[in-house]
Amino acid sequence: MLTQGSESRMDIRIAPQMSVMDKLKILGDAAKYDVSCSSSGSSRRNDGQGIGNTVAAGLCHSFAADGRCVSLLKILFTNECIYDCRYCMNRCSNDVPRASFTPDEVCELTMEFYRRNYIEGLFLSSGILYSPNYTMELICETVHRLRTVHRFQGYIHVKAIPGADPLLIQRVGYLADRMSVNLEMATAEGLRAIAPNKHRKTILKPMRQIQNGITENKNELTLYKHAPHFCEAGQSTQMVIGALPESDYQIMSVAENLYDKFSLKRVYYSAFVNVNEDRDLPALAGGPPLLREHRLYQADWLLRFYGFKVDELLTEKRPNFNTAIDPKADWAVRHLEQFPVEINRADYQMLLRIPGVGVKSAGRIVAARRFGNLTFEDLKKIGVVLKRALYFITCGGKMMYPTKLEENYIVQNLVYQNRMGRGEKLPFLPDGTAYRQMSLFDSDTWGQNYRAVGG
Amino acid sequence: MEEKYLICEDSMEGIFTGIYEAYALREGHEHVHIQIGEEENLRLFADYVHILPDSVKTDKVVRTLRQKLGEHVYHTLCRAAASCYADKGEAVYKTVVDAITAGSGRRVLGNFKNPYVARCFELARFTANEAHYEKEFIRFQELSAKAAKDTPILFSKIGPKNNVVPFVMPHFADRLSIENFMVYDEHRKLFGVHPAKEEWYLVSAGEEFDLRELTYSEKEEEYQELFRVFHRTIGIKSRENKHLQRQMCAYRYQDYMVEFQQK
Repeated sequence: MLTQGSESRMDIRIAPQMSVMDKLKILGDAAKYDVSCSSSGSSRRNDGQGIGNTVAAGLCHSFAADGRCVSLLKILFTNECIYDCRYCMNRCSNDVPRASFTPDEVCELTMEFYRRNYIEGLFLSSGILYSPNYTMELICETVHRLRTVHRFQGYIHVKAIPGADPLLIQRVGYLADRMSVNLEMATAEGLRAIAPNKHRKTILKPMRQIQNGITENKNELTLYKHAPHFCEAGQSTQMVIGALPESDYQIMSVAENLYDKFSLKRVYYSAFVNVNEDRDLPALAGGPPLLREHRLYQADWLLRFYGFKVDELLTEKRPNFNTAIDPKADWAVRHLEQFPVEINRADYQMLLRIPGVGVKSAGRIVAARRFGNLTFEDLKKIGVVLKRALYFITCGGKMMYPTKLEENYIVQNLVYQNRMGRGEKLPFLPDGTAYRQMSLFDSDTWGQNYRAVGG
Repeated sequence: MEEKYLICEDSMEGIFTGIYEAYALREGHEHVHIQIGEEENLRLFADYVHILPDSVKTDKVVRTLRQKLGEHVYHTLCRAAASCYADKGEAVYKTVVDAITAGSGRRVLGNFKNPYVARCFELARFTANEAHYEKEFIRFQELSAKAAKDTPILFSKIGPKNNVVPFVMPHFADRLSIENFMVYDEHRKLFGVHPAKEEWYLVSAGEEFDLRELTYSEKEEEYQELFRVFHRTIGIKSRENKHLQRQMCAYRYQDYMVEFQQK
């Protein structure tokens, strides 16, 4: 695919004496702010010729010191970049050590890590070397070699480079399981301010192309069973949270649009870390806004699996999530007219809306009801989180304890439980940076949030 | 009526033979129990019967379960039977009774009101979860080949609570079909062995297997170090959260993983 000339041209840029270890250090470090590391969505058996298969649920092979999963060998092909995005560590105006892999080095690393069961596959992204087309061609070459020469059948996630030729993107799509284009910022104005070389249009164009490719491929596959798969695991994107003053409502509306209009598999949210200490970007003294990111993910799940719409969760007047309780409980306390729900009668959709009942336990409730009336004891065995659900449900017409069906009362109890460490399990330490204790003398925004819940 | 205890071997075959014998008694199921291993405190008015595992009887039970209850229920029962808890025999037996004799059939696992079914579900879930974790956290190490032309052997040691090797092997047999590999459960002294391009099988090591006899290939140390470095760099400093890391990957798995062994 690459001509001899372009390869030698690359060698000039890459310091050939640099060891794979040093390259991995630089290019692994440069890739760590890409969030997506899932290996789910595609299911493929081994053909007996090479190594690898994929599992529909995905597998996380390790967990890094920040608690995020290490599922894929997440690296940049090169951290050379012609762009100057303010939030990015690899922007051209930064003086950081630069390195580039060769396609063979990436292939060898992937194969050797994979057979030792360190990783589930490869995540290949890249800075822009010379031009989007040149970079995309290098990525394409690497993935092609991995699939054909090494007969690798594991998971491959590739970043589509905005501005690259549609033909190249299509070619990579037939080799990769998932492709993604990062939206970076929720609004077009935000993107313009923060990444002068990127444009909303050039980002959405490959996204649309991949979507159309997947739809066409589905039609082909119904006709011809053995047709090659195009991005079997769909496409994803990511947005940076907290670099610009966007509201949760704006972010979630964009996410909903992406799910509905671009049929994305996942939207990732990445709490902003000011790596460049750029003076135009917020300093975030308390560390990255992890709790906000967590609430956005919770809401994202509500959109994808629980049948919620963004307009039910947030409005123009109330554009941010209450950080003190989770979005589902927050919705429930503001819609008490629909509660309490009788567990033995409510339909599946309504069961899903009860705080403390998840997709799995709702399914189990429906299955178990066929054998007789359920009691609170049974619900506990099924896996319902009763400390949250008890305010919203009845079993056989009775509530678990005498409680008031009153917004203030329920919120107070939920928040109190959280404060005592007995409530919601947050993925942070109690003294973690993003986790704040509530007090009467807290800042203005906190007070507003609380009043909004309190009615 | 006198209680009857069938004492079975701690294995899938032992439990399924026990179920066969329990049905063969034709005394109803209320007073018959299956117990794994010897009882320390013998009950006064109880009858104890020792059951030896029997492959013919096991096959019959397995065939019936698959036919009448379907693959899903059968696999759940197998996972429960691989659990590390001693009450698994009774739980599996009484779940089978609920399904076949009481007639809940293929839907039996929904019957959470039956405490044995609920327990069976719980045990199966624990085994399934642990098997899933082992699929993720097993680390293979390449052994040095005796002759240059030999394909190298990948070796992995694990220490799971439940007997997960039989559930982990099919996954790797498909994934690494062209590799020779072994998974060694050090608590049960059990090997899962997969020769390249052939079927996998289980071997019991019997006595203590000395791991110090193994020699690793030249490249092995290099790739371990590469992965350690990658694992260290991929974490974001300002998000550091050891608590979450431990929650997602418990210490008992970390003990067997190369990236958590400081060198």
